Amino acid sequence: MKILVVEDDKLTAEALVVILTHQNYTVETAADGEMGWQLIEAFAYDLILLDVTLPKLDGMKLCQRVRSHGYQMPILLLTAHDSSHEKAMGLDAGADDYVVKPFDPEELTARIRALLRRNQVTSQLVLEWGDLQLDPRSCEVSYGDNPLSLTAKEYSLLELFLRNSCRVFSCGALLENLWSFEEIPSDEAVRTHIKGLRQKLKMGGAPPDLIETVYGIGYRLKQKEGGKKQKETRRNQREGGDSLAGVGDAAQRQTLILISKVWQRSQERVSEQVGVLEQAVDALRRQELDQPLQLRAKQEAHTLAGALGTFGLSEGSQFARRIEQALQANKSLSQDEVTHLDNWVRSLRQEIDRLNRISQGESKTTRQDTTHTSIVANDAARPLLLIVDRDRSLAQKLIAAAAVWGFDAEVATNLMEARDKIFLESPDVVILDPAISEVTADSLSLLAELKKQVPPIPAVIFTAHNDLTERLEVARLGGRTCLQKSLPAEQVLEAVNQVLHQAEQTKTGIMVVDDDPTLLAIVRSLLEPWGIRVATLADPQQFWQVLEATSPDLLILDIEMPQISGIDLCQVVRNDAHWSGLPILFLTAHTDSDTVNQVFSVGADDFVSKPIVGPELVTRIINRLERIRLVHNLAEIDSLTGVATRQKATQDLDRFLRLAKRQQQPFCLAILELDLLRNSDCDKSIVEKDEMLRQIGQLLRRSFPIEDVVARWSEEEFIVGVYGMKKHEGIQQLNQLLETLRQQLDRVLNSIQPAAKSSNPVTWSAGVAQFPVDGETLSTLCQSAHTALYQAKRLARNRLES
Amino acid sequence: MTAKRILVVDNEQYIQEIAEICLKTVAGWHVLLASSGEECLRRAATEQPDAILLDVMMPDMDGITTFQKLQENSATRTIPVILLTAKIQSSDRRRYAQMGLTAAIAKPFDPLNLAIEVATALGWTLEQ
Repeated sequence: MKILVVEDDKLTAEALVVILTHQNYTVETAADGEMGWQLIEAFAYDLILLDVTLPKLDGMKLCQRVRSHGYQMPILLLTAHDSSHEKAMGLDAGADDYVVKPFDPEELTARIRALLRRNQVTSQLVLEWGDLQLDPRSCEVSYGDNPLSLTAKEYSLLELFLRNSCRVFSCGALLENLWSFEEIPSDEAVRTHIKGLRQKLKMGGAPPDLIETVYGIGYRLKQKEGGKKQKETRRNQREGGDSLAGVGDAAQRQTLILISKVWQRSQERVSEQVGVLEQAVDALRRQELDQPLQLRAKQEAHTLAGALGTFGLSEGSQFARRIEQALQANKSLSQDEVTHLDNWVRSLRQEIDRLNRISQGESKTTRQDTTHTSIVANDAARPLLLIVDRDRSLAQKLIAAAAVWGFDAEVATNLMEARDKIFLESPDVVILDPAISEVTADSLSLLAELKKQVPPIPAVIFTAHNDLTERLEVARLGGRTCLQKSLPAEQVLEAVNQVLHQAEQTKTGIMVVDDDPTLLAIVRSLLEPWGIRVATLADPQQFWQVLEATSPDLLILDIEMPQISGIDLCQVVRNDAHWSGLPILFLTAHTDSDTVNQVFSVGADDFVSKPIVGPELVTRIINRLERIRLVHNLAEIDSLTGVATRQKATQDLDRFLRLAKRQQQPFCLAILELDLLRNSDCDKSIVEKDEMLRQIGQLLRRSFPIEDVVARWSEEEFIVGVYGMKKHEGIQQLNQLLETLRQQLDRVLNSIQPAAKSSNPVTWSAGVAQFPVDGETLSTLCQSAHTALYQAKRLARNRLES
Repeated sequence: MTAKRILVVDNEQYIQEIAEICLKTVAGWHVLLASSGEECLRRAATEQPDAILLDVMMPDMDGITTFQKLQENSATRTIPVILLTAKIQSSDRRRYAQMGLTAAIAKPFDPLNLAIEVATALGWTLEQ
């Protein structure tokens, strides 16, 4: 059980850690409300212990935020005052219980136990999925307010899906679960009932894909949106899972990915088996089928019947089964029977070809390397570009340009086709025209879906409009680049290539060293689907070369290897100035306390025992990586405004300036300040000021591509740096932006304090400087920009000077 | 706790691979492989797996014969055996039970459920 303690008083926090650790809970602490919120969003906790008075975001507000985001874990409030009013407020904010400080440790732990127990035994009487409700006591089903009248089979199908809401059910599994032995059903029967159920759900107002088809696998409930689901799945994995629900999404996903790889490897063998059947049919037609061929064909049909269903081809299994029966020895076949047999073999061949096509699409995301020691960062396969655009002739031009750039390309001319192709073919990058749908919001929802893919698929927006609000929305949804339709295809592809390259670079990377090539292959196949770059190394002699070349975020070491042991490698890394901070995880077959102690004493961060269990390894690694990302973010991102900190910006700006010098390119630097912040401290509360700063930060971040520098430079100043931009271009862009900003801030101010608007409108000043004309170093450029800024202030507000 | 070891016997290599993946990824068991009845008898006697998953239809020595030979050897008699078979009628289930087989699982099996079916038949939990 994992508990988060949000408490600003260091002593109290330490005391709580001691008490709770003693009770065998895993405890993490946060010193303010915002930090607490970040942790809650990043990790799964079983309970939160929350102080009411906290800096940045107080306990009540945090509590409300947690509940409003749908987190259900119990929250226990720590209040300093034994006042009924405060307790009532806390409970209303969504807390489950409270303890008054100074607390009695025994009472506190007893209350925690009670809350955790309560959470465990919550037995859901009515099964719910969004607006869909099924009451097993009365067998009534409704969607929203509409009662649904289902047949017994439809009802039991729905109940099965609701009780196993993450699971994908193949036709075979549904038959197994819901049909009795005597009913002799077929996959067709399952499909018919699913169809009936879908129609009734649709009539009741449910989305038509509430029960969705997972291609080549089966059916499941459409998964709810949002990141929380993934976290819950991970939690299921961590808890081991002794039930159907425990074998959550991720384990299933991995299993299916690995199976699809087996399919790719076995295609030749399967094709050969079907070939034998084709030979047999041929021989039958010529009335020349001899006994050895008949026997062999019968055996191959038997094997196929027993295997194809497992690959998701249940119909293929059935064809093979019929073929097997038709080929029983001592049985002569009529002309009609031979024709049937021929048809079945053809159908079987078609089914197999179909799966091959799907699996080739999938292989784009689960590419395999034959040499396990090589570095995988550069994929040999051509990246796939999906063009989502109604305009076919334009799409053809893009396809031609794509070929020149080394892309494979596909076109989707409506949203549904686009979704299908994204699912089946996993494109590496997407070009999207928002006009694909009449409703722009629908098109943009596709963008949001792409962002949620694992790994996220980068998108380039290709639009005929140049509308700032649309562009802001696109940026918010993760679209990296907006391009005008008037651009030549060649330039569009250049941008696509750039976007893809950036996406690849921002991927997290890990490096695995193990002398067992099978293990390396497994680790790779487990982690790559999560969007992680995996570099594997079987020969520790090449350790430094590969480490420097791949620059991983995490290192996984085997303990026992010939020549150099993992322990030695770990020590070497810890002693190296540049790499000493690299997180290291050990794989070991030995989990005795001596080995474990040794592993930690040389500086390991974690260990995983062998044989590795897929879900456990994935969970450990992803948790570790998330933690690294969080720590980075805390140091590099300003928590209030969401833009970079001055420290991070200084590094980035220096880097850009060096680059600009080397490449003889201009670099444009702007410093912005909101006059309101400086002049009216006296009549603006801190909360209002913070809200203003937050809005500015968000707008700036959205308005510039991710590679530009946007940072909070001082308490009330922001800095923006754009490589390759000249001063006059910068001024033009900033002017447009600052106008938007002014309007937006007016609205914010108005909502906070209606009276203030007329008396105290928002104004801004900004100064711009350019490398190398206004200065060659960061400090001279900043000076120059500041001078311009003050000049702007003196002259009038709402001005920009250079 | 050490991971369970399970011997999978099938003459078709890709079925071996799939079974291995299903049992390893979902349940975390250690999987041993054999491609024939002969190999099964040898590995079962020397390596003493916790259970055997045995295909019925194999060339040379079929699954039923292999099972009977496992029963004749005192070193392998107590290892639970689950049959993988194309058809299971209720009469078959009775026959298998009388023979001393622990369970029979129908082929093609559902890859996401195989480990659960095996665990249920053997009374194992899927907890690591």
